[in-house]
Amino acid sequence: MSEHTFQPRIIAFCCNWCSYAGADLAGVSRLQMPADFHIIRVMCSARVAPEWVIKALLNGIDGVMVLGCHIGDCHYISGNHRAAKRFVLLKEMLSFVGVNPDRLLVDWVSASEGRKFQKLVTEFIERVRELGACGQRHVEIQTPHR
Amino acid sequence: MKFLSREALQTWLDRLANEATLIAPRLVDGILLYRSVSSARDIVLDYTRPKMSAKEVVLPSSEPILLVEKRGQDVNLSEPPTGEQVVFGLRPCDAHGIAVLDAVFVAQEPVDLNYARRRNATTLVGLSCPQMWEDCFCTSMGGMPNDPSHVDVLLTEVENGYAVTTVTDKGRTLVAELSLQEMEYEPPESVLNEAELVLTQEHWPDRFADQYWDLLAERCLECRMCAYLCPVCRCFDVRDQVVQQGISYSKYDRLRCWDSCTGANYRMVAGGHNPRATKGQRLRNRFFCKFHYFPVEYGLSGCVGCGRCIEACPVNIDIVEVLRDMSRASNAPQTSKVSPNAETGITA
Amino acid sequence: MTEFALQDQIRARAKELLASEQVQCVIGYEHGSRGQIRPVFIHQSTDTDRLVWDQGCTHNLVTYLRDKKGAFGSGEHPQRVAIIVKPCDSRALNVLLAEKQIEREHLYVIGVVCAGIVEGAGYAGQSSDKLQARCLRCNDRVPVIYDLLVGEPTQAETEDDYIDLAELEAMSPAERAAFWLKQYERCILCYACRQVCPGCYCSICMFERDDSLWVGIAAGTKEKEAFHLGRAYHLAARCIGCNECERVCPMELPLSLLNRKLAKEVQALFHYRAGDKPSQSPLATMLAEGEEFPA
Repeated sequence: MSEHTFQPRIIAFCCNWCSYAGADLAGVSRLQMPADFHIIRVMCSARVAPEWVIKALLNGIDGVMVLGCHIGDCHYISGNHRAAKRFVLLKEMLSFVGVNPDRLLVDWVSASEGRKFQKLVTEFIERVRELGACGQRHVEIQTPHR
Repeated sequence: MKFLSREALQTWLDRLANEATLIAPRLVDGILLYRSVSSARDIVLDYTRPKMSAKEVVLPSSEPILLVEKRGQDVNLSEPPTGEQVVFGLRPCDAHGIAVLDAVFVAQEPVDLNYARRRNATTLVGLSCPQMWEDCFCTSMGGMPNDPSHVDVLLTEVENGYAVTTVTDKGRTLVAELSLQEMEYEPPESVLNEAELVLTQEHWPDRFADQYWDLLAERCLECRMCAYLCPVCRCFDVRDQVVQQGISYSKYDRLRCWDSCTGANYRMVAGGHNPRATKGQRLRNRFFCKFHYFPVEYGLSGCVGCGRCIEACPVNIDIVEVLRDMSRASNAPQTSKVSPNAETGITA
Repeated sequence: MTEFALQDQIRARAKELLASEQVQCVIGYEHGSRGQIRPVFIHQSTDTDRLVWDQGCTHNLVTYLRDKKGAFGSGEHPQRVAIIVKPCDSRALNVLLAEKQIEREHLYVIGVVCAGIVEGAGYAGQSSDKLQARCLRCNDRVPVIYDLLVGEPTQAETEDDYIDLAELEAMSPAERAAFWLKQYERCILCYACRQVCPGCYCSICMFERDDSLWVGIAAGTKEKEAFHLGRAYHLAARCIGCNECERVCPMELPLSLLNRKLAKEVQALFHYRAGDKPSQSPLATMLAEGEEFPA
C-alpha cells in the first residue's frame, strides 16, 4: 500500500456469458482503466451468494462488484432477477450496520459493452478510494484476557 | 478483624487498575460482567452475581495457545503474552469454580501450560455475598457465600467499609501496601437458603438408563448457554487457523475455544458416527459429568451452586429440579447440607 | 373467553387426540419450576392436565418440529403431532410448510387467539403485567393456520411503524457501525438465538463448520459479525418476528433490530410478509411463478 494513495482492494464477480465477455472486450480494445480489481468469473450473477459479499467486506476487501447480464437477457433466464432481489436486500442490511452500501455495486454489462465495463470499474474504484479502507472496522475489543 | 474503609478501597483499586489488569464486575451495556476496568468508579459493588462466571479470566472463550510464524523455511513458535491480572469482587462460588478448574488443569500432570500461565499471573480478591439469592445453592455444593477457601483475599462488607481476610501468601503480598485497621467486630453471617438434597455420586449410575433424560431433553434447545455461563464447565475445541498466508511469510494460530457436551456435534467422530446422537444422551452426560464422572475422577463436585444455568435456561431445565428428581427416584440414602472446606467436596 | 376456559379447551382436545391415537404427541406449555412456563411434550392422554395456557406462554414451539422431522419420512409409522401455536408461531408454521420442512398431514394445529405475552415470560418471576415489545406492535390476534381455533377471534388496530428502528436509522453510518460492534462485544457465540429459531434448521450451520470455511472458531468480532449478519440475511423474508432470539440471548443483544430492518425492507420492496401463506418462501432467494424483479 503506497503511503500517498490508498489502493483499494476490489473484487468483481463477472458472469461468464455477458459481463466477463464485456470485461474481455474492454481489455482487447485496450480501454484504459485502473488495475486495482480482481475478476472472479462465475457462470451467472445468481451464483454470487450474498455471504461472499459479507465475507469479503468483513475480511479486508474494500469494494465488491457483481456484474451480470441485462435484465431479460440472462443466459439462464432468471438468474439476474434473483441476484437483483438478493443484493437489494443485502445493501439495506449493510447500510443498517454501518457499511456504506456504495461498496457493493450491482450492475448489468453485456458482452458487447466494453466501454460500460470500463466506465463502471473506473468510477467504482474512485468511489471506493474516496470511502477509504473497509477493513478498519474491526478494532479488537477489550476483554479480560487481553 | 482487619478493616478497610470504602475510600481506602477506592484508592487501592485505582492503583491496581494502573499497575496491572484489574478485572471487576462492571456494566457492559446493562449486563454485569467481570471485565477489565480502568478506574474504581466503573466497578459495581452492589450486585448478586455477574451474568458470566469468572472462568474467562483463566480460560477465555477463545484464545490462541500457540502462534506459528513461517519465514521462508524458518518456523517460529511462540506463546501469547500474559500480563499480571487481579480479579476483584469475585463471588465465592466463582472462586470455587476456578478452584475446580485448577484441579483439572494444573493440580496433576500433565499441567495445561496455557491455563497455568494465566492462573499463575492471577490474584483473586473475593467479595462475600450478604445472602444467598433465589437461584443460589452453593451450600449444597460444598461452598458458602462467605467462603474464603478459594481466594487470595476475601472482603466482606461491614458498616463504612470491608472486613479483610488474607488467605494466601499471594494475598498477603497484594494487601501489604494497605494500612488496615484493627477492629473489634465480627463480619455478619450471610443469609442462607435451605440446602438441597443431593444424590451421592455412587448412586447416579442407577439412574443412567432412566427414560427421564430423554423426556427432560425434549425441550432442550442445545444452545450450550448453560455450559458457557457455568464456572466449572471447561470442555474445549482446538483448531489451527490461517492468519496470513504468503509465499515468503505465513502466520497460523492454534486456537482453543469453548465447546459443550450439550451441542449436537460434540461427540461426533470422523466418519459421522455420534455416540451421543440424541439430546437425551447429551443432557444426561451434562448432569452425570457434574455429579458422577467429575467427583469420581477428581473428588470434587462438578457444580458450585451458582444458579446461573437456572436463571438463563430459556426452557427451564433446572439443575435443582433435576437433583430433586434424582433424589426422589433413588432409594439410596442422600446427603443434605454439606460442610464447606471439605477436602473432597460432596461426601461420597 | 377467560384463559382458563381456553386452557380447558386445549386440554380436552389434547386428551381426545392422544386417546384416539390421532397424534402421538402434543407439544404445548406447562408450569415449570420457580413459577416459569416451559414447553412440554405430552405423550399420554392421562397427562394432558399438565397443559396450560396463559400470558406467559412465550416460546415458539414450532422450533421443535424440526426435531420431529426425522421421524416423519422414516418408514411405516410417521409421528403425528399436535402443536399449540400463537398467531406469530403459526406464521412460522407456514414458512416451514412452504419450505417443505414438515408435512401438513403430520400436524394437528391448535391455534390460540392471543392477547399478548408478558415481559419476563419464560423466566422466573414473570409476574409482570406489561406486554412484550413484539406484542405491543402486533396486529395479529388469530393464527393464520389451524385445525382447531381456541378463543373468540378478535381484531386488532395496531400499526407497526417500525419505530424501534428509527433511532438507528437516524444515526450516521459510522455511529451505526460503532453501535453494532459494541453489541458484538458481549456476544458469547452460544448460538441460543439460532437454536431457538424455527427458521434456522440447517443440520450444519454454515457459520459453525468444522473446516472453518466461513468463520473460524475464535469468538472474535469478525466471527460474530459474520454470524449475526449472515443469519439475519438468511432469515430475510422468513423471520416472523417472534423475538424469541432476543428473549433467549443471555447478553441481551438487540437482535430483533436486524431482523426487523430486513422485514421492513421486504415489506416495502416486495409487499410481502413472511408466513402469511404456506407458499412463496424463501422469497429473498427464489422467484415465484411468473415473478420478475425488478418489476
